[in-house]
Amino acid sequence: MSEVVIEVGQRPIREVNEEIQEACKVGRKIRIVNSLSRHNLGVGLPPGAELHFEGSTGYYCGALNTGATLTIERNAGWAVGEGMSDGMITIGGYAGMSAGAAMMGGTIHVKGDTGPRCGVAMKGGNIIVEGKIGYQSGFMAHSGKIIALGGAGDSCADALWQGEVWVTGDVDSVGVDVKIVEPTSEEVAEVDALLDPLGLKDTSRDWRKMISGQRLWYFESRDANAWLMI
Amino acid sequence: MCGIAGRILNSPGNVGRDLVALMEAQEHRGADSTGFAIYTIPRDTGYVLRGMGFDKTNLDADMADFTRVLRDTGSDFLTEPQILQDTSAYYCFRIEISDPKDLSAWIADADTLSNRIEIQSCGRSLEIIKDVGGASQVADKHGVRDLIGTHGLGHARLATESSVLPNASHPFWARPFSDVAIVHNGQITDYFTWRNRLERQGYQFLTSNDSELIAIWVSDQMKNGLTMDQALRKSITSIDGVFTYMIAVPEGIGFAKDRFAMKPIVAIEQNGELAAATEEQAVRRVFADECDVINYDGPSLTGIWTVGNSELAA
Repeated sequence: MSEVVIEVGQRPIREVNEEIQEACKVGRKIRIVNSLSRHNLGVGLPPGAELHFEGSTGYYCGALNTGATLTIERNAGWAVGEGMSDGMITIGGYAGMSAGAAMMGGTIHVKGDTGPRCGVAMKGGNIIVEGKIGYQSGFMAHSGKIIALGGAGDSCADALWQGEVWVTGDVDSVGVDVKIVEPTSEEVAEVDALLDPLGLKDTSRDWRKMISGQRLWYFESRDANAWLMI
Repeated sequence: MCGIAGRILNSPGNVGRDLVALMEAQEHRGADSTGFAIYTIPRDTGYVLRGMGFDKTNLDADMADFTRVLRDTGSDFLTEPQILQDTSAYYCFRIEISDPKDLSAWIADADTLSNRIEIQSCGRSLEIIKDVGGASQVADKHGVRDLIGTHGLGHARLATESSVLPNASHPFWARPFSDVAIVHNGQITDYFTWRNRLERQGYQFLTSNDSELIAIWVSDQMKNGLTMDQALRKSITSIDGVFTYMIAVPEGIGFAKDRFAMKPIVAIEQNGELAAATEEQAVRRVFADECDVINYDGPSLTGIWTVGNSELAA
């Protein structure tokens, strides 16, 4: 499959994205150069597309992905992979706030740390972070897994729904209505199976698996004061 | 959703040009108005005033009254006032004055005319230029790209808390503290509580913009003995709302970010120089190379960037 190089620079993003979509239609691999952290690059990509971003991207890169494979060499801005339903996004550096927000499927792999609210309101898929996940990551995650190998910031997994947050390393604090449970060996094997293809499997890890305490599921407004965090 | 920016150079240079580039890149964050706070080469004595008069048909009468108030406090014009007029009903001015006997007292006197003519910055080096319209439009009208200085702030405004007026634009000067300016992205929810307290101490507010409050609040804390670092930290727990703001003084720029981590700020620091902005793609206009950007994405963050070897971080 031949590779096409697409320059971003200060071109209109709509024009760049149209060029990307055209290259996807004919099945060419795409290398994006001079992306200059511009926003909305590679949004709504089809299954099978392969994109490689040299450098960093801005907000919403790879959002609404339906099955493409994206590699971002350096950092991704806010909400990388928001609302994606399938595919794979790999970020070589840091991912900004709300990485994988409301995603429904697929995998996001962050080699560095993430900003706050990683996986906020996610409804499926997996986010694998080699570094630390930021403040309030996993907030209201409905489903899916966030797996952090380098610890977590404050208010981790706050108001989690049916999602899971798996952490090794230090957790600065957990959020409201979080239950930390001992994972079964089968569950650990499932997580290791996700990490193995990325070369990150390590059976000696000491996991903290966070799930919902389910008290907020039956929230009563008269008890609101009990949930005030600040 | 506003856009903010800060720029520091190692020595006096094209800070106006760089701030315009930073704000052009963020114009989509707020097209209501744009403003710049430029720290030009500081004067040993005298102050530069920037501001506007609201009715250009009253220009002569405004200036006559302004001159009278100025001379009453022992000050006078150092150069002929520069007046900028276009098709707008208002006019803008740049005035150089000698030191009044008591700066705060003179500003209070001058503010008795503030329903007609408003001082929007006062400083040995600070000049605030703000107007309605996008970055290029404001920069072209006021010649911002030609301004030489060491550092400064920029702001693109999407009005949420007060009117779309040239005088409700950012940056805000921390009246009456000379050479202090602020830009802010966010909403302050206990605005009137703090404004009432500060007004009882004698502070004057000329707009109902919550950003003006932060400028005066931080300056008041520093007047009462806190370092800038301490004042920035205190603001996070004292002021309620979602915000990221940058405050500039002659020695540098500080920033603070609320407890909820809702408003972004990123920075590139290289060889003692700085470009900071709401969006990374903006700082790439100044530092185009793929150098490392620092994402201040977390909650309750503060920081200070100094100009050259200035002492501010204590």
